[in-house]
Amino acid sequence: MSKPVSKPESDPAVRTRALESILVEKGLLDPKALDALVDIYEHKVGPRNGAKVVARAWVDPEYKKRLLSDATTAIKELGFSGLQGEDMVVVENTPEVHNLVVCTLCSCYPWPTLGLPPVWYKSAPYRARAVSDPRGVLKEFGTTLSENVEVRVWDTTAELRYLVLPERPADTENLTEQQLADLVTRDSMIGVTTLGSSAPTSASKH
Amino acid sequence: MLLTPDIVSAVASTGASARVAEHVAPRFRVGDRILVRNYNPATHTRLPGYLRGKRGIVEADYGVFAFPDTHAHSLGEKPQHCYSVRFTARELWGETASDRDTLRVDVFDDYMDLV
Repeated sequence: MSKPVSKPESDPAVRTRALESILVEKGLLDPKALDALVDIYEHKVGPRNGAKVVARAWVDPEYKKRLLSDATTAIKELGFSGLQGEDMVVVENTPEVHNLVVCTLCSCYPWPTLGLPPVWYKSAPYRARAVSDPRGVLKEFGTTLSENVEVRVWDTTAELRYLVLPERPADTENLTEQQLADLVTRDSMIGVTTLGSSAPTSASKH
Repeated sequence: MLLTPDIVSAVASTGASARVAEHVAPRFRVGDRILVRNYNPATHTRLPGYLRGKRGIVEADYGVFAFPDTHAHSLGEKPQHCYSVRFTARELWGETASDRDTLRVDVFDDYMDLV
């Protein structure tokens, strides 16, 4: 008959509210500016931007080359740039390498292409386990990779922001760029899932 | 600078890179084997604790950035290179980790030494 223990430290929402009220009280933050910022990233900018980048890379090999060598500029070509996307790196999934992105120190995330991070991305368990047990985390997202695939974890500790370029699903040769973009999910661009992940990636065509 | 509603849209679309347009000699080159310092400041740092004392290989040089450990405390930008450094899962987590898996972490000049 144990009673539920209160755990304010583990609730990012409570902590965020506390920080916000202190900053407002000290005159360091205008709550209206914060609302305007949240509105932009909740309603105008989001993972559909990243999906357009991925679809373009799938259909245009020259664009993909530019994206992998200078991601910030290539992403800007499609109109996406700004806060938390100033210095971008795109990492490509292949049959040999699966990339997974985490920020163990906080919640760094590429806003112009993915919007604001999901709650689980900011949670302590994801941040701790994505580096120490990435295959266990992937399994919980329904992603099982062959032992032959290298799992490559990117810990966003500095000013670079990372976007995963997922593998193009099989049998999508006849789809338009827009239809391809519709297949791309947020989670696949963080690297916790693959696309068409009902089949293991090791079975994909080489 | 206080963020006000009238400048939010402009700030969001332009951002503010922490890159510093200053020539600073890199302490490391791609391919260098490095040892992360056993560095435990009580103040702000962007060095994750799990890297202390670990060995890795420099994979890429991302260029010159403001150093967060001083910049966050208004102690100057102390511009320096930031690198992508590769660590094996085994180096960080021991023999039970996959011998195939690796990590890439962004590490500043001041966090490491040449082996």
